[in-house]
Amino acid sequence: MPTTSVNWAVRVWAVVRKDLTTEFRTRYAFNAVVMFAVVTLTMISLSLGLNEPSKPVLASLFWVVFFFAAMSGLAQVFVREEEAGTAPILKLSSSGSVIFFGKMLFNLLLLTILAVVIIPLFIVFFETAPANWPLFLVGLLSALIGLAGSTTIIAAIISKATVKGALFTVLSFPALMPLLVAAVEITSVSFVGGGFEEILAPLQLLVAFDVVMITLSVMLFDFVWRL
Amino acid sequence: MTAVIIMAFTMPSPMSSEFSLGPVDAYRIFYFHVPVAWVAVLAYMVAMIQSIRYLRTKDIIFDIKAVSANRLGLLFSLMAVITGSIFAKLTWGEFWNWSEIREVSIFILLVIYGAYFALRSALPDREVRATMSAVMTIIFAVSALFLIFILPRIYPAFSQHPTDSIVDEQGRLTMSPMVLVIFSLSMIAFTALFAWMYSLTVRLERFGRKVISR
Amino acid sequence: MLKLDVNNLGKRFGARAVFEDISFSLECGQSLAVTGPNGSGKSTLLRLITGLLVPSSGKVNFTENKKKLDFDQYRKRLAIVAPYLSLYSSLTAAENLKFFAEVDGRRVERNDIDNLLAEVGLDGRADDFVSAYSSGMLQRLKYAVALLKNPDILIVDEPTVNLDENGKGIVRDIISARRKNAIVIIATNEKEDYPLADNICQLGGQGMGGR
Repeated sequence: MPTTSVNWAVRVWAVVRKDLTTEFRTRYAFNAVVMFAVVTLTMISLSLGLNEPSKPVLASLFWVVFFFAAMSGLAQVFVREEEAGTAPILKLSSSGSVIFFGKMLFNLLLLTILAVVIIPLFIVFFETAPANWPLFLVGLLSALIGLAGSTTIIAAIISKATVKGALFTVLSFPALMPLLVAAVEITSVSFVGGGFEEILAPLQLLVAFDVVMITLSVMLFDFVWRL
Repeated sequence: MTAVIIMAFTMPSPMSSEFSLGPVDAYRIFYFHVPVAWVAVLAYMVAMIQSIRYLRTKDIIFDIKAVSANRLGLLFSLMAVITGSIFAKLTWGEFWNWSEIREVSIFILLVIYGAYFALRSALPDREVRATMSAVMTIIFAVSALFLIFILPRIYPAFSQHPTDSIVDEQGRLTMSPMVLVIFSLSMIAFTALFAWMYSLTVRLERFGRKVISR
Repeated sequence: MLKLDVNNLGKRFGARAVFEDISFSLECGQSLAVTGPNGSGKSTLLRLITGLLVPSSGKVNFTENKKKLDFDQYRKRLAIVAPYLSLYSSLTAAENLKFFAEVDGRRVERNDIDNLLAEVGLDGRADDFVSAYSSGMLQRLKYAVALLKNPDILIVDEPTVNLDENGKGIVRDIISARRKNAIVIIATNEKEDYPLADNICQLGGQGMGGR
C-alpha cells in the first residue's frame, strides 16, 4: 500500500470535507438549524407585535435565537458518528487532535452559514441593522470561534449519552455563559453605534475565553474520544 | 463535631443589632448564608481536584469522591440560593437581583451541579460516566472562573450587595468583634460539617456500589 | 517484536460481569480464535483489546521490543473488521477508502483504490454509494478498509458473516496471508474458520485457557 505521509492540515481537512460531503447529501444538521432560527425569529417577531424593543434588548434576542439554533445543530458532528456506528472505526483511523479540529472547523462553518441566514432575517423582522458593522462582525466572529471551540468536546461527551439533544443544551449553557454575556454586550454596543473602546473589555475576555477553551478542549479531548 | 455544629446554631441569636440596615433579626440568616455558600464553592473545588486525579489514574475511587463532593455541593448551593433569596428579600426588598455578582455566581454554580447530575444519569457505562463527568467538571470550573472575572468588568456598577455585611468600600472588615467571632465559628463549623458529611457520603457511595455490583 | 499482553482483564456492564480475569499473550506471527456461545463476551473481549472499550479491571498492553505502545502508536498498525462497525453510507466506496487513508496520514491514488477493491472482489463498484451495498459487499469493503493500513494487528469478529463462497475464500486468503507476520485474533463460532488460527480458546462456562 502507498504510505506517502500527509501533513496534519490535510488530515484535518479530510475530516471537514468528509463531513461537508455528508452534510451536503443528507442536510442532517443544516435543515434543523435554519428552520429553528426561522421559527424562533418569527415567534419573537409575532409576540412583540407593535412594541418596539430597545437596542440592548434586541441584542439579547439576537443571541437567544442564535444560541438555541446553534444548539439544535452543533451536537450532530459526533451524534451522527455514534448513531451511524462509524465512531469506532474513525477512532482507530486518526489521532484525537485531527478529529477535534476537523469537527470544530466543520461546526464553525455551520455557524457561519447560520449567521449568514439569521442576520438578514433579523434585519428584516426587526428593522434594526447594526449601526457599527465592523464592531458587530468582530464580536460575532470571536463569539463563533468560542462557540464552536467549546461545544465540540461537549458534543463528543453527549454522543455517548442516552438522551442527547436536551443534555447538550443543559451542559453547554453554563459552559458558554461568559461567552454569551460578552457577545451580547458587544452586539448591544454595535447596535447602538458605540466606538471600539467601549467593547475593549468584553472583546479581550472573549478572545481569552476562545484561546483557553480551545486549549483546554484539546488537552481533554483524548480522554473523551477514546472511550 | 456535633458540639461545634450545635454551637453555631445556638450562638448567633443574641447578637444582631450591630447592623445598620434591615430588620434586626433578619441578619441571623447571614451566619448561615455565607458559610453555606462557601461550602458550596469548597465542594466544587474538591470535586475538581478529584476529577483531575481520576483522569490521571483512572482509579474509580476518585470518581466516587468527586460524585460525593458534587452531591454535597448541589445540596449546599441549593441552600445558599434559598437563604440568599430570603436575605435579599429582607434587606433590599426583592428575592432576586441579576446584577449582583455573588448571587449570579451561586446560581450558576447550582446550574452546574444540576447539569453534572443530568449528565451522569444519562451515561450507563461506569467508566464512560466517570471520565465524561470528570472532563465536564473541569470545563465548568474554567468557564465559571471566566464568568466571575468577566461580569464585574462589563457591568462596573455591579455590586450592590455586601459592601456593609463583610467588607466596606475600602475592603475593610466591618463586622463588630462579637459578630466576627460568631461568623468565624460558623465558617469553621460549616467547613467541619462538610468534611464530616463528605467522608460519610464517600463511604455510603462505595458501599452502595459494592451492593449493586454483587 | 510486537507483542500483546492481556492481564486479568474483566468487564462489567452495570451489575452484570461479562467475564473476569482473562489473561493471555500473543506475539507477532501468532494467531488466536475466540469461540463461545452468544453473550459469552467474544465481541467485548475484541473491543477491549482494540481499545474501543475501557476495561473494568485488568490491562491490555501492546509492546514492541519490551517498550509499551500508547494508543496512538498501536492504532496506526491495528485494523478491525466487525459487524458493529459501520462505514459512511452517504459516501461512495472510493470516497470511504480515500477518507480513511487521508485521515490516517496516507495519500492514495485512484488506481490504488481500484486495486484494493479488486482484491476483495468489488471491482467496478468503486463509485456506488455504500448505502446501496448489500451486506456481503459491505463486509468485503470493511476488509478493504482494514487492508488500507497494512496492519500488524488484525482483529476480526465473525470473519465470514454475510459472505458467499467466493467471499469466504477471499477472506481466508487475506487472513492466511497475514498470519505469518502479524498478530491475528478472530472471534467465530464457525468450525470451518478454526484452521485460520494456531490457538483456540473457549469463552463462557468454564474458565479461560487460551495460550
